[in-house]
Amino acid sequence: MPERTPSPATMDRRSFLRTGMGGALFLGTVSVTAGLSGCATSPAGQGYATLTGASHSNYQFRFLTLDDIVLFEALLPALVGPTLTEEPDQRRAQIGDTIERIDAGIHQFGPANQKELRGLFDLLNFSVTRVTVARVWSSWANASSADVDAFLNRWRTSSIGLFNNGYIALTKVSNVAFYGHEDHWPVSGYPGPPQWAVDALPQFKANA
Amino acid sequence: MSITDRIARGLESGWKVTDGATLTANQTHEVDVVVIGTGAGGGTTAEILARSGLSVILVEEGRLYYQKDFKMNELDAYASLYQEGMSRVTKDGAISILQGRCVGGSTTVNWTSSFRTPEPTLNWWGSRFGLADLSPDAMKPWFDGREERHNIEPWKAAPNQNNDILRQGCEKLGWSWQIIPRNVKGCWNLGYCGVGCPTNAKQGALTTTIPGALDNDATLFHGLRADKLVVKQDRIDHLKASAMAADGVTPSGVTVELRARHFVVAASAIGSPGLLLRSDIPDPHDRIGKRTFIHPVNATIAEMPDTVDPYYGAPQSIYSDEFNFTGGVDGPAGFKMEVPPLHPAMSAGVVPGHGEEQKRNLAKLPRMNSVLALMRDGFHPESPGGTVSLRDDCSPVLDYPVTDYLWRGLREAFYKMAEIQFAAGAKKVRLMHLDSPWFSSWSDTRKGIDELAMKIHRVKLFTAHQMGGCGMGHDPSESVVNGFGEHHHLSNLSVHDASIFPTSIGANPQLSVYALAARNSTRLASKLRS
Repeated sequence: MPERTPSPATMDRRSFLRTGMGGALFLGTVSVTAGLSGCATSPAGQGYATLTGASHSNYQFRFLTLDDIVLFEALLPALVGPTLTEEPDQRRAQIGDTIERIDAGIHQFGPANQKELRGLFDLLNFSVTRVTVARVWSSWANASSADVDAFLNRWRTSSIGLFNNGYIALTKVSNVAFYGHEDHWPVSGYPGPPQWAVDALPQFKANA
Repeated sequence: MSITDRIARGLESGWKVTDGATLTANQTHEVDVVVIGTGAGGGTTAEILARSGLSVILVEEGRLYYQKDFKMNELDAYASLYQEGMSRVTKDGAISILQGRCVGGSTTVNWTSSFRTPEPTLNWWGSRFGLADLSPDAMKPWFDGREERHNIEPWKAAPNQNNDILRQGCEKLGWSWQIIPRNVKGCWNLGYCGVGCPTNAKQGALTTTIPGALDNDATLFHGLRADKLVVKQDRIDHLKASAMAADGVTPSGVTVELRARHFVVAASAIGSPGLLLRSDIPDPHDRIGKRTFIHPVNATIAEMPDTVDPYYGAPQSIYSDEFNFTGGVDGPAGFKMEVPPLHPAMSAGVVPGHGEEQKRNLAKLPRMNSVLALMRDGFHPESPGGTVSLRDDCSPVLDYPVTDYLWRGLREAFYKMAEIQFAAGAKKVRLMHLDSPWFSSWSDTRKGIDELAMKIHRVKLFTAHQMGGCGMGHDPSESVVNGFGEHHHLSNLSVHDASIFPTSIGANPQLSVYALAARNSTRLASKLRS
């Protein structure tokens, strides 16, 4: 896709986004607009099963919406894909588990940072801002891993602090939820807590 | 477990501990003193006041977690024990804030490093803020006493490899290094201090002063958020608080009113100014929330030739003050160098990257070392600190602009940390910076640091030490409390935590908080008893 000459409106938006406050206000506006335009705005509940048509787990989503789940299904192959297994069912399960842990983590973030993330996810989900701000042309469900990787690198190297922050937020919640989980410790070579200590401590006994 | 665990045993013996999540009806209680916060300051205060015979209620927004919950698991610990589920950042998102939110506060999750307030810092407070009563000689008995109470002594076992790399590098370069004093008793040398000590070896507030207060008839409410101090004339009349649901983040709707003769605020350098601002405490000179300091931290990581296992062993046992006070107390930004432990979730969260690159970064973990630098902020006119204010929902947020003065110190620290790592035999070094490659030699790194932008959102910055915001001083026009933590304008309000520091400390702050809180609480107890 050739780089387009920014229109005056785009320029205004860019300079607006450079200020942190402007960014926060802008993201707030997107959240409202996204709600009015039919984006999912309530937590997905047990929606993961509904979405994939597979009974993945009984996990109850408390923050991520159905649209957010689709977004992370697109992002995770680029964020942690090289460490995922190739086998399709297992791979889907690894992505599903990671999205659930991302939701559980964000629930503990509290209202203020949840509001920030809501703004970020709505900006990415709302088709107009997905195209104009994130410059991802296809819907997330149809975005290729290469599209997503290019988007992540644009935000990482951008001169706009708000986008750097967006990159940090997306990679941090995903990296922590993925590499931090016991299932993926082998990827980093972390052997886990010393077994002798686990065996000796009362809190690990079955009846503790 | 009940035989060895101090908390489990106390709960069985009938300690007065209430989980806010279990409250179903609004209620009012009255005691001599309400202490808000259960960390280094609140725990010390509650124990000393309760021992003197005063009735005390402790209020903690976070929940009570203890040995049964400490399973050496990062994801559970970050979600439950840290402020904002470990997602707390400064207002512009540029600096990650590591801060405890549980009974024991940050002492439940810190890495146990316990330093006396450096003498140049105390002397500076004396000359600059009229706090000559806090001279090193005057403070010595308080440090002695708290070192005994928390079993603080230099770490006797060999440092783990991660720390030994800092020692070796300094040794090669002819730079000073020392052994870190730690507050532990019977430590198993496991490496999980940051996720709640699994063996009860850590002598933080949770295993010392909180049990000491509860043994002396104090009452603890956890899962109870202090919303507002209600002022009547020149006194605090009562505290309004909200019970939190069992998830720890959602208010249940139940409110608690706490009445007392005296109120001690010890809710941290972000929480205490936040509470005072919500309460419209008299502040004629607009000082509440100002001059908040954080020891801004930057870090480098190294790929070593041999196994480091940076997740095992006492997380911090070696430090270097080679560049801390050497430029003069108010000269160019000085910094203390230490190492952080590296577990997989923390490492994956702080090392920037994604995809194949991040997979390769994380695969180095068993051979990874990291060095960090703590900037000594607040001593120079170009280091005025940050400002705590209230968001729309009345929660506190810290705005911390990084000045050019601090960037010069951070750049200098990058040079020194990388030089140490190469001197200790590193194969490659990378800065915690969005644009840093892995450098293969010290000379390449030096050139790289010359060129890399020292800017927010490029350099990864952290803080684990929050100080100031209710600064103490002789002059009410530039401070919130006096040298005893007593509020300048309200006669029954004291502040007993790191928020009263008029500058940063220049060392990990827990022992400074313990010692000042002990001194000020001893005075408060005798005033209230007379």
